[in-house]
Amino acid sequence: MKKFLNDPNDITAELLEGYTLAYADKVSLMSEKIVVRTHAKSEDKVALVTLGGAGHEPALSGFVGEGMLDASVVGDIFAAPGAPKLLEALKALHRDVGILLVVLNHAGDVMSANMAMELAKREGLNVRMLLTHEDISAGLETPDEDRRGLAGCVPLFKVAGAAAEAGKSLDEVYEIAERFSKQMATLAVAMTGATHPQNGQAISELPDDEMEIGMGQHGEAGGGRTKILSADETAQKMIEPLITAVDAKSGDKTMLIINGTGATTLMEMNLIFRKAYRVLESRGITVVSGLIDEILTVQEMAGFQMILCKLDADHVPLLKAPCNTPYWTVR
Amino acid sequence: MAFLDCQRLAKMTATALASLKERASEFSALDAETGDGDHGTAIVSAMTAVDRVAQEGTNLKKMLGDMGFAAMMESCGSTSTLIGALFLGMSDGVEGDSLNAAETAAMFSAGLEKVKQQTKASIGDKTMMDALEPAVDALVANVENGIPTMLQAAAEAAAKGAENTKEMVAKFGRARNLGERVIGHLDAGAVSTACTFEAFSRGFTAAV
Repeated sequence: MKKFLNDPNDITAELLEGYTLAYADKVSLMSEKIVVRTHAKSEDKVALVTLGGAGHEPALSGFVGEGMLDASVVGDIFAAPGAPKLLEALKALHRDVGILLVVLNHAGDVMSANMAMELAKREGLNVRMLLTHEDISAGLETPDEDRRGLAGCVPLFKVAGAAAEAGKSLDEVYEIAERFSKQMATLAVAMTGATHPQNGQAISELPDDEMEIGMGQHGEAGGGRTKILSADETAQKMIEPLITAVDAKSGDKTMLIINGTGATTLMEMNLIFRKAYRVLESRGITVVSGLIDEILTVQEMAGFQMILCKLDADHVPLLKAPCNTPYWTVR
Repeated sequence: MAFLDCQRLAKMTATALASLKERASEFSALDAETGDGDHGTAIVSAMTAVDRVAQEGTNLKKMLGDMGFAAMMESCGSTSTLIGALFLGMSDGVEGDSLNAAETAAMFSAGLEKVKQQTKASIGDKTMMDALEPAVDALVANVENGIPTMLQAAAEAAAKGAENTKEMVAKFGRARNLGERVIGHLDAGAVSTACTFEAFSRGFTAAV
């Protein structure tokens, strides 16, 4: 592992300090490991909160700001923040109209969130929890609880955030976000493994000539190892199950995202997007919103996540609505 | 007749922390085979918080509750939540400051119950439960024999349970996606739990 680090124990605190200093007009540290909007949303609008480990920058704190998240509660590298920390954020953002807590389906995050929900209920806070689980690598028949939440949370923050900003009620924001969640699917692929920045240990190792479709965002295995394929072959192999998963048909509108996991270049990602777009086009499926970027990464892992979202009529304007966060801006 | 009180519990957590620290890199290496390789760091950070509170406690019930919250405040994923739930549950199961054998077994049973509320994992799923459940069962089964024997039986049962994880397929956490590739690897959480109970047993006897 070759990285610019200080004391490995201070990585999370130091990265959040640097981040909030750089984007001080958009994000601030409310307290240790809680990132909030610098210009708070008015209390008559639903707040949007999420949680997750560090090490995936810009996710998740990169999307705190007007039109997206109100707060992100950050754990240590790849680790969920504790329930008391999450409760602290929920209490600080408490408002009568309520809070939507978005949780990515990973064992630690879910446990922290469930425990925090129990504590929040005891405090009389109005919070609803939405679990994302759009990873299809375990198979379409797999129960939701066994499907991981991957980078699809980011467009979900966009949609839910815009709905909240528009003054929708908690039930409405939840419904819009849940419907969006059900209509998206993600598949990841990795070519090289990640390392854990606190101890330098490799999380996974892949032979030089192999790639793995379905590898998760911490480098955890997904099962589909093959010899390295070309960009077109890889894109085709990934977009097809995604189309099946979201049941996209001719005439449907979609959002297509290629999210780089840290060590794959934008050049490669452009090639992947091109082919996936062409496959969708050949089936009469329209991409009304596209994105090629690093939105959720894993320490120097080469690979990407391909996210396909089938959009309802109300999702399209929500995706296009203004937002102003460090890593997603619409004017 | 030996009783469990704040002082003995503090000795148990201190002994556990020392043992876990010594073997932290071993736990991380085990975790790296199937997860993300941070279990050594995670368990040491959770137990450091637990032990810090334990060294200052004077009221057993409050001390256990504070230990649970302190563990949960550490950002180390499911480890901190599960360890936190264990001690919170133990706090729920305690009355008074000096526990006899039956009360000690009841305390650990209440801890196990709280952990079960947080995870659906049970024996056979290749998690810390493979060591924790047999350990608590052994405590309960040995109530007639006094606390030192109970803790020793728990340590042995936890060690055996951890060893059993070697042949299991994971059903929880990040390892579950590996399928049969995890067979042959010990579960890091089960091994650290066994290490903790072994140290609890030594710490209890060494106290006073």
